[in-house]
Order: sequence, then C-alpha cells, then structure tokens
Amino acid sequence: MRFALASASLLRHGPRTLLAVLGVAVSAALLLDMVMLSTGLGVSFRALLTRQGFDLRIAPRGTLPFDTEATVDRASEVARQLRGHPAVIAVSPVLGASVHVPRADGSIAATALGVDQAVQGDYELLEGVDVAHDGAIVVNDAFLAATGARLGDTLELATGYDPQLRAVVGSRRLVVTGRARFIYLSADQRAVALRLPVLQAMGGAQRTDRVNLFMVRLAEGADADAVQRWVGQRIPRVTAISTASAIEQVDARLSYFRQLSVILGSVSLIVGFLLVTTLVTVSVNERIGEIAVMRAIGVSRAHIVHQILLESLAISLAGAALGLGLGLVTARWLNAILVTFPGLPEAIDFFVFKPRAAWTALGLLAAVGIAAGIYPSWRGASLPIARTLREEAVG
Amino acid sequence: MLPLLLALVLQQPQRAGEPPASGGAPATRAERTIAIDERLAADARLGVGDRVVVAGAPDAPGDTVRIAAIVRRRADPAEVARDEYTVRLHLDHLQALSGYGDRVDYFAVATVGAAATGFVVDRINDAAFGFRAHRSADIAVETSRTFAVVSRFHRAIGVITIVASATFLLCILLLKVDERRRDIAALRLVGISRRAVVRAVVIEAALIAALGSLLGIGIGWAASAIVNWHYGAVYRTPLAFALVTPEIVAFAVALSVVLGVLAGWLAAQRLVRRPPLALLGR
Repeated sequence: MRFALASASLLRHGPRTLLAVLGVAVSAALLLDMVMLSTGLGVSFRALLTRQGFDLRIAPRGTLPFDTEATVDRASEVARQLRGHPAVIAVSPVLGASVHVPRADGSIAATALGVDQAVQGDYELLEGVDVAHDGAIVVNDAFLAATGARLGDTLELATGYDPQLRAVVGSRRLVVTGRARFIYLSADQRAVALRLPVLQAMGGAQRTDRVNLFMVRLAEGADADAVQRWVGQRIPRVTAISTASAIEQVDARLSYFRQLSVILGSVSLIVGFLLVTTLVTVSVNERIGEIAVMRAIGVSRAHIVHQILLESLAISLAGAALGLGLGLVTARWLNAILVTFPGLPEAIDFFVFKPRAAWTALGLLAAVGIAAGIYPSWRGASLPIARTLREEAVG
Repeated sequence: MLPLLLALVLQQPQRAGEPPASGGAPATRAERTIAIDERLAADARLGVGDRVVVAGAPDAPGDTVRIAAIVRRRADPAEVARDEYTVRLHLDHLQALSGYGDRVDYFAVATVGAAATGFVVDRINDAAFGFRAHRSADIAVETSRTFAVVSRFHRAIGVITIVASATFLLCILLLKVDERRRDIAALRLVGISRRAVVRAVVIEAALIAALGSLLGIGIGWAASAIVNWHYGAVYRTPLAFALVTPEIVAFAVALSVVLGVLAGWLAAQRLVRRPPLALLGR
C-alpha cells in the first residue's frame, strides 16, 4: 500500500520526477567518480609496485627511486650485504642513464637501464630474446619508432659527448635483440635495457660500481618492515622504501586529487540532498489536503512518514542506478585526460573501479535519500488535520 | 650560467656572532656565502649571518659557510608539490663540494632579440653533437605540460558540475513556477493575456536565477579565499589556487539567467495551455 501510494505520487508529476532523477544521476556520477579517484591512484600504484614481486626499493639515502640523479657507490658491496639477509631471495640492481644514438643530423636520446637480466623487474619482454650477452639491448616501441631500427639491427649508443675532442664518449655498438614494455616508464619515453656492467663501463669512472636503485624480493611471509629497519641500521648510506611507504609518499605528493575528490564528492551529495528535499517538500505541500484526508480516515502518522520517505528514497536510488552507469563513462573520460601526465607509467590509472566504490556511492546516496525525506515527512505527519481540511475546503 | 643544485647536507647551525665550527673551511680561504629559501630558514630557524656546514653527502666533511641571504620561492606551479629546500651557492663552490668538476647542467643565454635567438639556436644545434639549444618559450611549453593536463581535467570536472547544476536549476525553477499555478489561473481569469503571463513568469524566473547566481558568486568567492588560504599554508607558496575572475562571474550569471529564462518559459507554456479552472483544480 505504501509503495503503491509513493509510486502514484511520483508518477503523477512524471516530468518533474524525471528531471529530479536526472539531477540525482549526475550527482551520483560525480560522487562515484570521486570515490574512484580517492582510492584509484593508490590501488593502481600498489598493483604497479607489486607486479614483479619486489617488496623493497633501496635508493641513495634521502631520495626516492630515480627522483634525483644520486647513485649508490660500491654497489656490489651493498648487493652482497643485502643478499646476506636470510629473508632476501633476490636483489635486482638498476642503473639509469641517458644515452644517445648518433645520427648525421644530430642524435636521438633515450633512457637506458642497466640491469641484471636474471632478476630484473623493469620490463616485460614482448618479442625476441633478453639481453643474453654484453652486446645485446632490449628496446621499447617508442625507441624503435624514433630510430627506425628493427630486431637484429646494430646501433651505436653513447653516454655523452666530449666538446673538446668533438667526439662521443662511452660509445658501444649494440645489437637489438628484443622488444619490451618498460613497466615504470611512460609509453612515449624511448627506452633501452642492457647489462648493468656494460652501462657502468659506458658511463666511465663516474658510474663504476654505482647503481640508482636496488629492488629486493623477500621470502614468502617475510616481514618487510623488519628488513627495512635492518637495512637502515646496516647500510646507512641508503634508504629502504617498502611498498606501503612508497604508496604513502606518492599519496602525499598527489594529495591534491584526494582532497579534490572529498570536496567534489561532498558537493555532489549536498546537491543531491537539496534537490530531493526540495522536490519532495513541494510535492507534500501540493497534497496537504490529501494527506489530511488520509489522516482523518485513520491512516497513522507512521504510514505517512514511511510513504514520504519511500518517495525520497525512490528518487535517490533511481538516480543512483542511472548515475552509476553514467559515472563509469565519465570516469573513463577523466582517466583518459589524467593518464596523459608527462612521464606517468603506462600502467597507472587514476580512476579504478572496485565494487566497493559502487557500494559506497550507493550507500551514501541511500543515506542522503532518507535524510532528504526527513523534513517533508515530518511536515506531512504533523499537519493539524481539522484546520488543514477546513483551509483546503475553503480554498 | 645556471648550475645544477644538488642535494646538499646542512649541518651544525651556528647563530650570527658565534665563532665558526671546527672542521670547517681552512682559515686562509675567504668565507663563502650561500642563500637559502625562506622555507628552510623557517624550519631550521636560520637567519642571515648564521653559519652552517654544507656537504655533498651525509658523511662528507663539508665547508662552513655564512648565510648571506634568504630568498623567497617563486610562485612556480612546478615547485608546489615538491616539499624540498633550496640552497643557492656560487657555481665554483658547488662544483667543488659535489666533485662535479668543471661541469654545468645548462647555460642560460641572453640574446639581443628574437632574430638573434633563432640564429644562436641554429648555430649551436648545427655546431656540436652533445649540446642542444632550446628556446625558453619551448621549454616553458614542455615544462607546463603537467599543468595543461591538470587544466584539461579541471575543465572536464567543470563540464560535469555545470550539467549537474543546470539540471538542478531547471528542476528548482520548474517547481517554483509550478507552485504559482493558482496565481496564474487568477490572472488568466481576470483577462490577462497568455503572452503577458508568460512574460511575467519568465522575468520572475530570470530574476530568481540572477539573484541566486549573485549569491553563488559570493559563496564561490569565499570558497576560493578558503582554498587559497588553506593550500597556500599547506604548500607554503604565494600561488593562487582558485581565482574568481570577471569572465567566470559573467559566465556563471549568463548561464544561470539563460537556464532561468528557459525553465520559466517551459513551465509557463505548460500552465497557460491549461484552462484556468483546471489550474484551480475545479
């Protein structure tokens, strides 16, 4: 009975109800987007960091991985110390550098990573073979497009230029043996990977036995925090960063998006609340005579309250259902804009759909729907019956 | 000529007037000076005249230097999110401390004009591999790519909020006009023409929309002041994060009035087409 009366009341003013549902739908879409934005980056970044199974990143003291040009010297000694910990099962050293492919009309610059190919976690091989020998490089699509090279081609790579001698320095002829996707680099960033000792040798004295980063894989069930503390005590010239603390630091740097999502999410809830409250209040005002008649023939206050709350909830939930679909579409649009940030890894997304996000948005909108119905239902239930009937009859 | 700034370590602050710390620069060498940014000065409680030890690494001995100036950070969006300190040294001093040798990261070159800039850029790029000359304008475009993305994101969010607020406004104005159906019926019964009724309703809706938008501008202005105050304190920057410009005000008022007129016209058309007695419920 309550459901029938509530739906009849909403259908009586179809265009008005439809407009309100549309308004709530847009608010719901924005709310879902903001819930997705508030958690998406963290979820996506965690997936990126844990993708290759490394639990700790070890960078020069006081720096984040590849955030500065600082390097760790005596890298082989650090690697040996790390491998000495019983919980450590793999240590992957990485050295980064800029390399140039000399051309008649200039040069093509690229990012080079010196890796230990047996344990590396920086790229996924798509085609060909890995850097199986010192003369091999693995490259990404952006590098192939820029240089026009193919698998099997031999290229000259240099790490610098001596202006006094007018000659390249740190030059090697290397064979492209594989095509790969570099996980932590953006898709448009030209990249090559080669063996760590080769890149160190190409970099000269400045890069001898140096790396920018160690990635450390721990045994199943090992306490990453304990290993992190151990590294801090035993090797004070480096900083160990766990996946959790890396996410915290990235979160802190990108707190703007989290704060924006809270502000816009709150605004969308307030807009939805005002819209539903106004609509239902006007609807109640228009039929106070009808409500007074119902009360006069014995319908209880609770019945009136339930009916009006149902109307409010129905508008909110219908808008939410429509808004969730709309929200997914707009999230894709907004995500497509944000992933064009320069240098952002290809695998990072700002808006990540999780069922929990949808349930959170739905729950908040249901709560708003009920809250929005409180005032009009109180007004409907507390009408003075006789006076209202008299006023309605007199007109 | 602009040098690279490395992550230097500052140790052992001494207040102005105190003797230099032991283990600092040799007494025979002239005392070197540095400039620090005001964020570092505030956090480390340093002032002009204080002496500190700067070193290229935490375990390196370093040099004792005197703080000669405290500088204000530029209102540069690129530096906002970077929670770090800046120390400015003389180039040769930084090269010596960092063991960088006779190297710099880049040269900033002033030219006599745009034509000369093009000539210099071409000559440098033709002359030597290993160097690359860029126009400042091109670098500005490249470094502002991040903000171009943020700007596009803000515009997209703006479109969504405009759609939401437009729907809200349309709905509220339809309700508001619908509430006036008895008044409209009375006007029609005393002989007021349909056109006059529609015009009156549209004017009323436009006025409500204009007044609402003016109130909204006040709220927006207060919100932008709070945003600027909050983020200015968080990031310790003179940057303005939110601005209410005349163009934004004009757009908001125009959009509200257009929507108000549209909603008023739609609602009025619905009402004047019905017989006046039906509007009164008879």
